[in-house]
Amino acid sequence: MRQLAVLIISLFIFIPALSQTKDGCYNCHKDVGDKTAELYSGDVHFKLGISCADCHGGDRTSDDMEIAMSKEKGFIGIPKGGKIIDVCLRCHSDDVVMKKFNSKIDVNQFKLFKASVHGKSEIATCVTCHSVHNIKKVSDPASPVYPTSEVKLCSRCHSDANYMKRFNPGLPTDQFEKYKTSVHGQRILKGDVKVATCSDCHSAHDIFKANDPRSTVFAPNLPKTCAKCHSDADYMRGYKIPTDQYEKYVQSVHGKALLEKGDLSAPACNDCHGNHGAVPPGVKSISHVCGVCHALNAEMFSRSPHAEVFEKKKIPQCEICHGNHLIERPTDEMLGVSTKSTCIKCHREEERGFEVAKQMKDMIDTLVVRASKARAILDEAEFKGMDVSDARYEMNDVPQILIKARTVIHTANLDEFKETIEPGYEIVDRVIKAGLDAIYEYYFRRWGLGISTLIITVLVIALYLKIKQIEKKK
Amino acid sequence: MAKFGEKLFNWFDERYKIRGFIEFMSHKSVPQHRHSIWYYFGGVSLFLFIIQVITGILLLLYYRVGEDSSYESVQFIVSKVKFGWLIRSIYSWSANLMILAVFIHMFSVYFTKAYRKPRELTWVTGFLLLTLSLTFGFSGYLLPWNELAFFATKVGTEIIGSIPVIGKELLIIVRGGEDVTGATLSRFFGLHVAILPGIFTVILFIHLLFVQIQGMSEPPEWEKLPPEKRKYIPFFPNFLLRDLLLWLIILNILAILAVFFPWDLGKKADPFAPAPAGIKPEWYFLFMYQTLKLLPPKVLFIEGEFFGVLVFTIAGILWLLVPFWDVKTEKGYRNRLINYIGLFVLIYMITMTILGYVLS
Repeated sequence: MRQLAVLIISLFIFIPALSQTKDGCYNCHKDVGDKTAELYSGDVHFKLGISCADCHGGDRTSDDMEIAMSKEKGFIGIPKGGKIIDVCLRCHSDDVVMKKFNSKIDVNQFKLFKASVHGKSEIATCVTCHSVHNIKKVSDPASPVYPTSEVKLCSRCHSDANYMKRFNPGLPTDQFEKYKTSVHGQRILKGDVKVATCSDCHSAHDIFKANDPRSTVFAPNLPKTCAKCHSDADYMRGYKIPTDQYEKYVQSVHGKALLEKGDLSAPACNDCHGNHGAVPPGVKSISHVCGVCHALNAEMFSRSPHAEVFEKKKIPQCEICHGNHLIERPTDEMLGVSTKSTCIKCHREEERGFEVAKQMKDMIDTLVVRASKARAILDEAEFKGMDVSDARYEMNDVPQILIKARTVIHTANLDEFKETIEPGYEIVDRVIKAGLDAIYEYYFRRWGLGISTLIITVLVIALYLKIKQIEKKK
Repeated sequence: MAKFGEKLFNWFDERYKIRGFIEFMSHKSVPQHRHSIWYYFGGVSLFLFIIQVITGILLLLYYRVGEDSSYESVQFIVSKVKFGWLIRSIYSWSANLMILAVFIHMFSVYFTKAYRKPRELTWVTGFLLLTLSLTFGFSGYLLPWNELAFFATKVGTEIIGSIPVIGKELLIIVRGGEDVTGATLSRFFGLHVAILPGIFTVILFIHLLFVQIQGMSEPPEWEKLPPEKRKYIPFFPNFLLRDLLLWLIILNILAILAVFFPWDLGKKADPFAPAPAGIKPEWYFLFMYQTLKLLPPKVLFIEGEFFGVLVFTIAGILWLLVPFWDVKTEKGYRNRLINYIGLFVLIYMITMTILGYVLS
């Protein structure tokens, strides 16, 4: 019984191979010791019974070389350039043919590839990546596009500065080197095929430039690309990292700016974590990473007393107050000593830091309240028709001062903070005075009119009586 | 004190013979009838002109002509100069009221036929004063260099360009270039504060002199009235005091308008900005502007706009010469046709002005 089973299995395996024995091209080339024919015996297509003639044309049944490889029989020789793709797509773009082989491969590959950066400029063809005569299934570890091999395959061109210069001199050629330093790269070197390789992020056939909105790594598309794996709890099981980053990011100030407002200057995942060299920023480097955009805040933080203490205690710098993926628009509530404040996470009452936080918050609140009072006074003056454009113009500086003050809090230096915010109080004082003066002037004008009308009316009456008197005399 | 006054009077009389003038004035009288009210509009126009002169001079203390300074200096006047807002508002309101008063004065003279012999030249000088007042208005409108003024001047001066042959050259002379620029502003300023006041003062003096010499015109009906039925009041002090009374009321109206409806300055002119919607000239030019707008592009081989200008010019000349072609009818009464023409002109002007506001 066991012997019968082995026979049946063997038949299944060898029947397609046996069929090739009827292939004149293969037999003849093999007999003359052609290495291509030898190589082809390991090709996925050979195993499916696809003949040399299916790609190269000619007559597989004829033993006569002249007839088999004649133009009349459709022999095309070795296809070059775009012709290679034509040969592959004959089957791979034909749903009916592919179904005959029970293939689940997408028949749109060619369409996708033709539009891609590689296909559009005919930089690469199918064989550039999949090899020729020795093509393996993608899931076959021997395939050049198998995850562990793929990064090397791509780097063959992309790490060759001389070669890349011909197509895109501006494109860096250090992606592979960086990749090796990334968590993804390090894991794949250890044989973990679940981690991201080039095609996982850039896709396989439909690769576009990173600044092309169709690209999977175009900034607004990137968070979703990363989330493909990082938000899949099942897939990420075993890595012991959270899978809610994307969910949090879309609610963050950065996510809203990028995904809702379409602000391409807002950071996507790669702007903080790096792209090819993706790693979570270390505790020490957080302020540097954030400081790429928030330069002033980072500089101020670096000279604050917090910088040294955080480093010693290994407290993640910006993150401790602002969070990481769910960074919300900072509010004044974050400062001070209320329950919503982040300062009280570390500082206790009667501490210097507690007092500084309290004073800073009070001063900001004072300016906000007084500025709003000043605006209300100006509104009232304008409503009364008075010109307060100068004061209104001066008022424009107050939001600027508030922004500056809210930045200076990163120094945790009360003197520097006071120096920044105090001009704001002076402006508000002047504006309130100007507004009240205008309102006073409004009433002054009305009173003035009232009094002058009274005087004129008295004069008119007096004159009228005088005229009557004169005319009576006559 | 009384002796000193007499001495002073004698001192002047000895040198300038003023006794005769005083005598003349004290015997001067004004006819009193149901249309007497119209006599006052000349005085009202004069009073508003005097206010124009005073407030205009005060504005000149701070106004600085120039593309970069005109708007800013007016803004400075209304926001920083003590009572600058009041002076500017009174100036602008009195300018408009003066034009209105002049129009009323003109039509009242027209309908009461006060222009008839021997007052033909008083009418002619009066008409010249009206034309000068309108030129004052047109040139002064641009001076704050705000958006509305800029585009209204642009549209207004464009009409000059429609005159055949010389139109383009004339337009360049008026504008000081192809477009309305700082050069236009400078020449309008010169016209407004130097040339026009000079000419206006001379003609105004002649106009007033004629009125003083000939006195107020009596209504035509009085020609058939026996002298004892004709009523008069002395010019001094009766008429003058009534004049003063009206002036005071007008002064109060001006103050109310200035406080409750301060004259808007608007946005600064930007020659590169598109013209804002609804640009139209000042109300006293609107009837002409609206007529030109409603005219077809061609009227009898003539450009529509030029045709309009031509008709207005001819009509203006006929209006100016009305005392010379208005003749007595066979029955001795004055020609009634004149009244119908005047009524038509008045209704036409009012209708077109209203249309100008409604249609925009």
